[in-house]
Amino acid sequence: MDLDLTPEQRAFRDEVRTFIREKLPSEIRERLRAGHPPRKQDTVAWQRILNERGWAAPHWPKRYGGADLGPMERLILLDEAYRAPAPLPQAFNVGMLGPVLMKFGTPAQCDHFLPRLANLDIWFCQGFSEPGSGSDLASLRTAARREGDHYIVNGQKIWTTTAHLADWVFALVRTDTEARKQEGISFLLIDLRTPGITIRPIHSIDGEHHLNEVFFDEVRVPVGNLVGQENKGWDCAKFLLSNERTGIANVGLCRERLDYARELAGRYTQAGKPLLDDPKLRADIAMLEAETRALEITNWRFLLTDSEQKRLPAFASVLKLKGTELQQEINALLARIVGPGGLERRSADEVTHGPIAPRYFYSRAASIYGGTTEVQKDILAKAIVG
Amino acid sequence: MNFELNEDQAALAESLSRLLADRYGFEKRRALTASGAAHDEKTWAGLAELGLTALPVPEALGGFGGGARDLLPAMQAFGRSLSMEPFLASAVLAGTALRLGADEAMQTRLLPGMASGEIVSAWAHDEPAGRHAPLWVETRAERKDGGWKLDGIKSNVPAGGLARYFVVSARIAGAPADANGCALFLVDAKDAGVALREFRLVDDTAAGELVLTQAAAQPLANPEDSTRTRLAIQGTVAAGIAAVCADMSGAAQAAFDLAMDYLRTRKQFGRLIGENQALRHRASEMLVSLEMARSMAMAAAVAADDASAEDSAPDLHRAKLSVARNARNVALGAIQLHGGIGMTEEYAVGHYLRRIHVLDQMFGDADAHAARLAAALL
Repeated sequence: MDLDLTPEQRAFRDEVRTFIREKLPSEIRERLRAGHPPRKQDTVAWQRILNERGWAAPHWPKRYGGADLGPMERLILLDEAYRAPAPLPQAFNVGMLGPVLMKFGTPAQCDHFLPRLANLDIWFCQGFSEPGSGSDLASLRTAARREGDHYIVNGQKIWTTTAHLADWVFALVRTDTEARKQEGISFLLIDLRTPGITIRPIHSIDGEHHLNEVFFDEVRVPVGNLVGQENKGWDCAKFLLSNERTGIANVGLCRERLDYARELAGRYTQAGKPLLDDPKLRADIAMLEAETRALEITNWRFLLTDSEQKRLPAFASVLKLKGTELQQEINALLARIVGPGGLERRSADEVTHGPIAPRYFYSRAASIYGGTTEVQKDILAKAIVG
Repeated sequence: MNFELNEDQAALAESLSRLLADRYGFEKRRALTASGAAHDEKTWAGLAELGLTALPVPEALGGFGGGARDLLPAMQAFGRSLSMEPFLASAVLAGTALRLGADEAMQTRLLPGMASGEIVSAWAHDEPAGRHAPLWVETRAERKDGGWKLDGIKSNVPAGGLARYFVVSARIAGAPADANGCALFLVDAKDAGVALREFRLVDDTAAGELVLTQAAAQPLANPEDSTRTRLAIQGTVAAGIAAVCADMSGAAQAAFDLAMDYLRTRKQFGRLIGENQALRHRASEMLVSLEMARSMAMAAAVAADDASAEDSAPDLHRAKLSVARNARNVALGAIQLHGGIGMTEEYAVGHYLRRIHVLDQMFGDADAHAARLAAALL
């Protein structure tokens, strides 16, 4: 039993750290440190730099431009990105769609899309949720009917993160309305420039525009954009949702935000004294650091050894639950630290004053997206109670 | 990185679990506590037979030279079975203190007997006024007639009544909290200056208050070597933290298992209570806590073994803090899920809360370790 990196892993970590220090534009680093979400141009610029090094899609096989890295090396890349902080590889492209295409797509789809996904030449968003189907995803109603060599898509998606920035959407659509609800679903790639698509912004409680509604009105999609078999899209969706778990616990994010909390607590003063002088605040930080360490080791146990996964097949829900809870508590702590100084609404272009309070508001989404906390508890309960 | 037990560790854990299942079923333990016995002599003999009492003793002195990692599965098994054996007090605490603090002659005199289980020793370091302070020693040692005499009081000495010898921290110079000026001494329980007020802790385990009045004492090594003493105390406390973290995680596991069984068998309102979402969600929260406790018990073992590693000191504090909190969450949830039966002394589940509460209070409670981590943030 040991918790050390091997010499090779340590060398890899140092290599990644040096690479990020040398290549990451300082303006991006400073914006992220201050709490801004990465802008589209930040994510694109950084992903292309990573892609040149083969690290944009580290878990993909080399023949598709990946690095074929093992789980520990992937965790190191992710942790170092958070630590910098640097933008993460675009998740819809790299973590979600890429692996689905490799498993279910045609060779032509792989050859066309995978290099473009890795280099962010195409920005994909995810069209899963609908107004009537949130946690109960399989109840979705957006329909696609076959007409010749096209599907005609009608319906509505919601909570579509970055649709306003995206070129394409991968969507779950109902192709058989008679079948049992999981069985009539197909997985389609849709070019967002196709006539009949309307994107409307949804401003979230942080005042920002991350989310959208996407409407489909007689949208013609070539049948060549079907991934996998017709009516078997649920298999793609299940695979996508369970495939990439390296980032599910968000340990690196917790670490980086806690470091920032310490930094701010040393910088912000109250009646002439740094906030860090307050033993109660320090104890709160210490508690969150201890729990982050517990999550980190649990993450290693589950991601790096088969035996732990066998012992607890629903392990991903443990990571999501605890990671979400910690992220939210740490964002709340940051909002407490900036306190009255964080109340003024500021322009998104101000690099030095990050949106700490808005980011705290938006952190509440973490226990809603990707399977709500309650859904995760249902999954766990099924595994442990039956 | 590696989270597996090696073959020896797994085999020993398996044999120990069998022994404890045989000797320490909950009903047998109840009978044992009702009889007034401080522990089960046959189990203790069994531990010696398995080589467990020899595990932490150096190979040259008849042991296996095992560390906190090797003890982890054993301590978890003790937690699961609510063991009352003096293993923590003697094999872990007094044994570590002797290994780190005693000269060769004294190690040779004591450790082989402790390895074979014939000698039980106890670690007597905590004092009432110190509470959770890592180092607070008012007990005085003075040179007299060519030897040493100790005066002072040591509180909550685990397994005190079973001990043939006490390893006692005492001050030869300085104020109670001074890092220097302490030495470790061996005190014979039969000495005229030694009085032990024996009692049971709230988890039924045996402990005592040690009152030393001009008690004859022998220094473990050169008493002027404050640095060695300090390192020996730190190392002993680190071994203790790792052991109780493992014990608490084992206790939490057992409480969790009982609660899950109960959810699957108890019926109310015509259906299994485990069908109720509120209870299922509580069970899931308990599982998350249990996994955090298991992870940090590993962190504590690694930190205790590799004291010089970068993460070692903070990991011990984090582990004691996190395991105590998370194991307690599990025990509280397990009682709640049981309802009334969980409140009864004749049912096992509440005993895990009692055990975790006692172990949380040893070597600094969760608040104390949070405060120590907090101090390091400045």
